[in-house]
Amino acid sequence: MSLVSGPGRGGASTGHVPDEIKLVVEKHVEYIQTLDTRQDELEYWLTEHLRLNGVYWGLTALHLLGHPEALPRLATIDFVLSSQHESGGFGAAPGHDAHMLYTVSAVQILGTVDALEELDRRGKAGREKVGQYIADLQSQETGSFAGDEWGETDTRFLYGALNALSLLHMLHLVDIPKAVTYIQNCANFDGGYGVSPGAESHAGQIFTCVGALAIAGRLDLVDRDRLGGWLSERQLPNGGLSGRPEKLEDVCYSWWVASSLAMIDRLHWIDRDKLSQFILQCQDSEKGGIADRPGDMVDVFHTVFGLAGLSLIGFPGLVAVDPI
Amino acid sequence: MASHGVPRASGVQPATDQDWRKEQQKIKDYKGLVDSLNGRIREHQFNTETFEMTSKLLKWNPEYYTLWNHRRLILRHRFQYSNSRGPNDDSPPNHEALISLISDDLVFLIPLLRKFPKCYWIWKHRRWLLDEASGLLTASETRKFWQQELALVGKMLNLDSRNFHGWGYRRTVIEALERDALQAEGLSTSMTRQEFDYTTKMINTNLSNFSAWHNRSKLIPKLLDEMKADHQVRKKFLDDELELIERALWAGPEDQSLWFYHQYLVCTFDPKYTADSMVPEITGAESMAYVRKEIMKVREMLDGAEDCKWIYQSLIHLDRLYHELGNDWFEEASHIEGYFDELTKLDSLRLGKWNDLRGRINI
Ligand SMILES: [Zn+2]
Repeated sequence: MSLVSGPGRGGASTGHVPDEIKLVVEKHVEYIQTLDTRQDELEYWLTEHLRLNGVYWGLTALHLLGHPEALPRLATIDFVLSSQHESGGFGAAPGHDAHMLYTVSAVQILGTVDALEELDRRGKAGREKVGQYIADLQSQETGSFAGDEWGETDTRFLYGALNALSLLHMLHLVDIPKAVTYIQNCANFDGGYGVSPGAESHAGQIFTCVGALAIAGRLDLVDRDRLGGWLSERQLPNGGLSGRPEKLEDVCYSWWVASSLAMIDRLHWIDRDKLSQFILQCQDSEKGGIADRPGDMVDVFHTVFGLAGLSLIGFPGLVAVDPI
Repeated sequence: MASHGVPRASGVQPATDQDWRKEQQKIKDYKGLVDSLNGRIREHQFNTETFEMTSKLLKWNPEYYTLWNHRRLILRHRFQYSNSRGPNDDSPPNHEALISLISDDLVFLIPLLRKFPKCYWIWKHRRWLLDEASGLLTASETRKFWQQELALVGKMLNLDSRNFHGWGYRRTVIEALERDALQAEGLSTSMTRQEFDYTTKMINTNLSNFSAWHNRSKLIPKLLDEMKADHQVRKKFLDDELELIERALWAGPEDQSLWFYHQYLVCTFDPKYTADSMVPEITGAESMAYVRKEIMKVREMLDGAEDCKWIYQSLIHLDRLYHELGNDWFEEASHIEGYFDELTKLDSLRLGKWNDLRGRINI
């Protein structure tokens, strides 16, 4: 079982936008279910390096839509385990090298379908080894995390590590205070955080840093008003959210901006109705799926983050989501 | 993964049989190449042919991160070979061969970076090559590479002055050049001033460049420390920055990048941030005088820009700060109430924020 995570194809454009747009739940479920039937498309193969993320996004979307059964549970677990390496780490798909990003997705998927014990039962490495794989990527010196043995540190990896380790109940394997210090070194005058010390604030990185601080129980370190101010300015007149000043709106930021605001109790600092209208306009209401902007090609990535955004702002008909 | 800005195809266009067959052939070619490459890597066939296969596939699909790992395995193998070549073990490592291996790969990456400037894996591979160079070559040999990188990243930022990969890479390059200079010549050659001037140049080209303003905010404290600036010099520096941003704000009062930089400068007067600011020894009285002056300057901007929400926002911020500093209000309550009223009208998206802040103020 695997899901294509690349762009959908040939969704018809809606022509005009009706005043009252509905969330097309059934269409989205169908869209996600058919992603894996597209093996006769080159795009399916060109996006294999994202397969495990794609499964996580599709699965989460289905859970939000209230249809967790729409993907076969056993086949999902089998696919996840088939991407594991002896080291404990996971690649994007069988034959792909292990990397933090996919190891986190694997743990998240197994956690979602309540199957973490399958790692011990039939994984190439058990839970303990998976936790150790992640923990070993922490730098003793800086507290940051690398993506794999080839180096490169990024706050995305730090958040992913803490997220997966907390699901595995293994946070004790890493140096949390050092990781927290590293995040503080990534903080900027505007209240936001960058991808590494010195880098400019970016909504995606803010989500990873605030999320990591939430897991570490150190949200007291966040300058809530200043960060809330910066994040709320991401909302543009059409209701959509952008990732940085002077950038265009994009559905995926619905999640990163809104969940960061929720974590610091400032979600009401943006117009939630306008945001939900914007996300609904990005749906392909005929074939299902959500795009980055109205009229664009849909994909499973924007579908899950659009739905998660809607769920976070309490849109009716969706299962409630945890901002972290 | 995520498609951005790709228009949805209008109407369903059923693929012709011929299109379908063509696509299936492409899939077969692609998968065949991938399988064959993976097999060669498993068998440790780190030869030219295998290397060329990674080139071909990476040009096709640079997001396929495992291929970059394959490529690095082959390169490491070649580095080792070059490093140990010679008639006997005493002969020096062949740096010329190493240099050409590294520079060939750097050249290979350039068209990819141009085509996929936001691909994390390409930037990662470039950093890796430079790190390898630092480990294998002498400081002066490595320095040449880093200097080329500085020129390259300058070009990349000319093409997209907001590419955060580019700005991040630039900081890496500067750090390396400063470190290498220290190693090679035993003297500290700070490039902070040069980088500060670079942000000025970028801002003059485009005022809305938040990335450049951001970098400037990171460079200033470092620059002042390196100058061993005293209190007066620091104040003068702050005055110049305030003047610069004021001129910019007159030109573009709707530009949020500018207001965020203004907010950064105003941090200096906020006791919460003073210690880390560019004038850490500023007194409460000095701060109050500055804030008073800022309120008057920002109020002037209202003339002809009564619809600009940023001005009201900034005035509320400054008024609150003034109150925190001295317990008095500089402006009358009715003025501040008026600013909130304007924001309620002009900035309805953030009504929740204005209601919160209004509720917290007790005038
Ligand atoms: Zn997006």
